[in-house]
Amino acid sequence: MSDLLTSLNSAARALDAQRFGMDVTGQNIANVNTPGYSRRAIDLVWIAPYDKMSAGGGVEVVGVRALRDRLLDRRLQQELPAERREAAIAEALRTVEAAIGRPGESLDVKLNAFFDSFAKLADNPTSSVARQEVLLQGGALATSFQDMAARLRSAQADSDQQIRAVVDQVNTLTSRMAALNATASHAAATGALPALQDEQLYLARQLSELVDVSVIDHGNGVVDITLGNGKPLVVAEHQYDLGTSSTAPLGYASITSGGVDVTSQITGGRLGGLLQVRDVNVPAYLDQLDTLAYNVATQVNTLHTAGYDQTGTAGVAFFTFSPSIVGTAGAAEALVVNPLVAADARKIAAASITDVGDNQTARGIAALRDARVLNSGTATFTDAWGQLVYTVGRDSKDAADDQATREEIVRQVDQLRDQISGVSLDEEAANLLKFQRAYEANARFFKACEDTIDSLLRNLS
Amino acid sequence: MGLRVTFNGQFRDATTNVERASERLLQFQRQVSSGRRLDRVSDDPSGASAALGERTKIAQIDQYTRSTDSAYSRLTVLDTVLSDMVTKLTAAQVAATSALGTTPTDAQRTAAAEQLDGLKAALLDDFNTSLQGNYLFAGTKSTTKPYVASGGTVAAYAGSSTEIQVDIEQDRAVTVSFDGGAITKGSDTTDVFAIMDGLIAAVNAADSTAINSGIAALQNVFGRVTAVQSRVGAAMQTLDAEKVLLSATKIASSERLSKLEDTNMAEAITGMQQADTAYKAALGAAAAAAKVSLMDYL
Repeated sequence: MSDLLTSLNSAARALDAQRFGMDVTGQNIANVNTPGYSRRAIDLVWIAPYDKMSAGGGVEVVGVRALRDRLLDRRLQQELPAERREAAIAEALRTVEAAIGRPGESLDVKLNAFFDSFAKLADNPTSSVARQEVLLQGGALATSFQDMAARLRSAQADSDQQIRAVVDQVNTLTSRMAALNATASHAAATGALPALQDEQLYLARQLSELVDVSVIDHGNGVVDITLGNGKPLVVAEHQYDLGTSSTAPLGYASITSGGVDVTSQITGGRLGGLLQVRDVNVPAYLDQLDTLAYNVATQVNTLHTAGYDQTGTAGVAFFTFSPSIVGTAGAAEALVVNPLVAADARKIAAASITDVGDNQTARGIAALRDARVLNSGTATFTDAWGQLVYTVGRDSKDAADDQATREEIVRQVDQLRDQISGVSLDEEAANLLKFQRAYEANARFFKACEDTIDSLLRNLS
Repeated sequence: MGLRVTFNGQFRDATTNVERASERLLQFQRQVSSGRRLDRVSDDPSGASAALGERTKIAQIDQYTRSTDSAYSRLTVLDTVLSDMVTKLTAAQVAATSALGTTPTDAQRTAAAEQLDGLKAALLDDFNTSLQGNYLFAGTKSTTKPYVASGGTVAAYAGSSTEIQVDIEQDRAVTVSFDGGAITKGSDTTDVFAIMDGLIAAVNAADSTAINSGIAALQNVFGRVTAVQSRVGAAMQTLDAEKVLLSATKIASSERLSKLEDTNMAEAITGMQQADTAYKAALGAAAAAAKVSLMDYL
């Protein structure tokens, strides 16, 4: 049978429990803006009666729970790499797009001016002014190709720099994760497990933004991380660094794990996006640019060498490559006006016969503007340039659109996660009120018990 | 249980919506202030690529227009020169005819011969006409004087038999420099200057047979000059038509380019106003949501 002192005890316990509830509420409110924080709920149970003459032992605090949905956390870890990948591509391609320039302000203008200059020369093949103009525009076209190639190369180098930085960030995060894993047993013993898990989930989220990783949560405060392909990054308290090694010929970073090159296996996250830009997108653009430069040079040279210059000598190549190239690779960067021609405008071959007044070769070169000489006779030079502009624009737009869609998915998942784990100030206010009132009521009960004991003692005296 | 509205969720929603609305507003503002629909290629990749094509077409048209103008001015000079040749050849025939028969006196014959000599010199000048340092009747040897006179004799044609053409359209060209030899001599055995020399001698010698054959030979030259003149006339007509066509094509291309690249102001300004309203609404909603909290009522 319960006695007054037991009641007093249970009232004291109840006061403790309600005060603890207020503490938890306070903790939630305090962390309303803390990233990665999952709201805590207090678990209370009633204490069963000892015998049939007992009402029960009051209330007891069983523990504090962090409210999470593992499924949503996992969903986020899956969506984030794809979203961040597209974001990285969109961001890098924006720079490339700026390098390519707008229609009417880029290589197309130089191409047109170059063919214009030959048309003017055809109009007046003996004019030294027209010849100087051809040299000027030829030089401008070559420079324009060189600049464009240099800008694309620098976009590639920028991506490489960022890749190295991201690898460092990944290593920092994984080493933190390993350090957290090492504290798991201690955290479990001291009740700090929810806080530890919050931090681990937040780290996993940050990692997912950088690279596509698999997160294996053992549920006991130990989280293992592997790369998408299974290469371990964190196993319990052991961390495995990602490495970078500069690879010839351009010295760009290959990513290694345990001495093995894993570059091609990384597709997601910011790292995956940057690799895509550096190793796939920009090389493809450069390739198109090189092919265009090479074909401009070859087509012009074919006509030019078949013609005769102002002194009646057979024409030399109008464009040359310095340094010389093999195939089309590097053509844009190496394109120059043949120094022999550049030094003497009379060496420009405008004629197809030895007569100085003949303009057949100049007309032929001017007509190359409209000639479908590329892609097996289906595209003009401007078409080919337009194709490159279109490819860059489309890639950039695709990445931006894709990122927008995925960002929305991430936002929705975040929102869903928030509905479970996030702190609602209204709810916390209500909880505060609830615990406060309960505390007041329990305090009254305590007072009542005390008064009863008091009156009993008074009667005895 | 209903949807839990969390502080962060509310905040995230509000910021996302405000960001989106302001981004949209910025897009329209950029379109209106720059006047360009295509600010970056990725705004409309296929449109940008099409715009590139139009720009090239316009550049090409501009080039053809320049060529047409330049060819036209050359043809105008040619036409004038050829007309002059026709006049001179007619005058030569008249002068030679006046020396026919037994009626003309010696003095009249001498006068006719002198007139013929003057006309020959004038024809020589005509065939040696140059424009901007290029001889118009020397074919592709445009810097070589086609007919050089030393003493009274004019040397054989020194120009080229290849004519010079300039492009005025894709696969369309006009001749701007002619083969002088084909006009003065053609398939005949003597050129116009030798014919004139022969005529002068015949007039002086009162050789009516030679005068008549000389007049007949001049008639051949006359025929060739007028044939070239009609070619020039036809070319000028072509150029006139070409100019109209080029400017019409350019207008069409420019319109297409404008549609591809330029902002449709009415649309953009309406869009901007809508975006502005949406932006203000998003800001208002965010502010209103942040104002109320149960905390205020405790």
